[in-house]
Amino acid sequence: MKTAELIFKSIQRLADPAELNWLAGKIQADSKGLSLAFVMVPRHVSKTQVGNIPGWNWQNGTLDQLVRVYLLIHLAEKEDGKSRIETLFDTAEMNELVALYRALPVLPTPEIWLHRATDAVRSNMGPVFDAIAFGNPYPTTYFSELAWNQLVLKCIFNDKPIHLIEGLDERANQALANTLADFAHERWAAGRRVPSQVWRLIRNFQTDTKEQDIKRLVESTDPSDRKAAELVINNSPLEAWKVLEKEEKAY
Amino acid sequence: MCQNPNEQKINPSHFEGSTEEKQTAQEVDGGFAAYTQGMKFFDPHVHMTSRTTDDYQALADAGVVAIIEPAFWLGQPRTGLASFKDYFASLVGWERFRSSQFGIKHYCTIGLNSREANNEALAEEVMEILPLFLQKEGVVGVGEIGFDDQTAAEEKYYRAQLELAKEMGLPVQVHTPHRDKKKGTERSMAIALEHGLAPHMVVIDHNNEETVKSVLDQGFYAAFTIYPFTKMGNERMVEIVKHYGSERIMVNSAADWGISDPLAIPKTAALMKIKGISDADIQKVTYQNALDSFAQSGQINEQDFIHGLEIDQSLKFNGNTVLRGGQAPRVDKNSIFIR
Repeated sequence: MKTAELIFKSIQRLADPAELNWLAGKIQADSKGLSLAFVMVPRHVSKTQVGNIPGWNWQNGTLDQLVRVYLLIHLAEKEDGKSRIETLFDTAEMNELVALYRALPVLPTPEIWLHRATDAVRSNMGPVFDAIAFGNPYPTTYFSELAWNQLVLKCIFNDKPIHLIEGLDERANQALANTLADFAHERWAAGRRVPSQVWRLIRNFQTDTKEQDIKRLVESTDPSDRKAAELVINNSPLEAWKVLEKEEKAY
Repeated sequence: MCQNPNEQKINPSHFEGSTEEKQTAQEVDGGFAAYTQGMKFFDPHVHMTSRTTDDYQALADAGVVAIIEPAFWLGQPRTGLASFKDYFASLVGWERFRSSQFGIKHYCTIGLNSREANNEALAEEVMEILPLFLQKEGVVGVGEIGFDDQTAAEEKYYRAQLELAKEMGLPVQVHTPHRDKKKGTERSMAIALEHGLAPHMVVIDHNNEETVKSVLDQGFYAAFTIYPFTKMGNERMVEIVKHYGSERIMVNSAADWGISDPLAIPKTAALMKIKGISDADIQKVTYQNALDSFAQSGQINEQDFIHGLEIDQSLKFNGNTVLRGGQAPRVDKNSIFIR
């Protein structure tokens, strides 16, 4: 089933008649009307929790977001859809940005939005960064290695939980492992730490300091660090790292 | 009014309080928070774009739970549409997020301010993009608009924006001029009525003793800006509430890039408390009336902030609270250590 149909089925399940009626009126509109409808959604559609949608990776969204994504798919198919969506990005408030970034993977030609997706990684607005970083298949599918590494590094830098990033282990790479080792050293020098699960990203790679780094973890007073060391040393399978998938403070 | 602390004369002519009240007010100077325990405040006019994060911290500590940031003049004129667009976008984007980090709900009003209405070519372009921003979530009115020099161009765009507000059913936040204020205020109200706006949908801002009666008599909301030197002092404000009561009256800080005080509302509330104004009246002029007037936009839900900023469920992911937008860890400002 096409994503748009999946989305519409969920909307039908959750929306009340007035909301469906409003959407039915707007979905027929031209590109300008669709753009304005995207902006006006919260004035007509509730923030009901959506839950999971079978067949589509969409977790913990709200109905207004879902309706916005649905409108965007239609807008993207219009002749001037791209420029209209660019304008929506340029003038967006925070919830609009979240909906835009969550929609990227299901738009007709996701690759043309790469510049926007990497902008979201630069965003200092927590919810905007999270919308591209977590539970979103866009980065793992379209990001270059450089952009990918920046995403993972920024996530760690901001003490956000990396296990929510899709494709985290599949896209682990040597350059990222090197950078992470350097980053851990900086943190240690400052009397701080990195979340223990970060070490899963260097398990398949050799870095100049790997031996000393693991030794330091073994000697750590933090049980999570010791666990990470154990998993690296035993070359444990990925599933074993699940116990470290949590939010951790850097100090 | 001379505000020199070395000035010995303790007789601001407008301070009508008893000797006892004066004594108390002096004693609590700098310790006002003791008088506002448990109070919550709503500042319907504050330009946080021009303020630091320290101010957000101070606002949160003082009990300010929600604010409205009107679009205004940034201190020098913008020269292109893109600057306006980015500014409006920052009011619904970055500033909103920054505020949420301190648990303060941030709303805004969007408009073309009076000064920049005088650049007609640019003003025309700005008018084109206003409807898009006025439809956005959390935009609670058209503002701040009105007169500055009271030129023909200012009048033209004031009228055009009143029409937009009427069309969209949004409240209007009207800036009244510093110079020739009384006439400018009357003119602003007359034009709003001429365009068919209901007075209860219009907040006339920056009132003083000379303008308040007419504003209230005609059914408008009357906002008072507690701002050192150029606008209202809070001692005068207390006298106004004593005289006119609390109906349709609200105070704001209008704190911006000038010498201003984002804590104007809590400080005024403390002074009102000391000077015997009832808690119910204090609550109306420092919270409820601002809420009631701008909630007419349909964009304010008190439940969003009355118990502190709830975590927006849509910002949660796998129950992970870090996604609420990174609540900043508290920094103890008195500590010599910076970590």
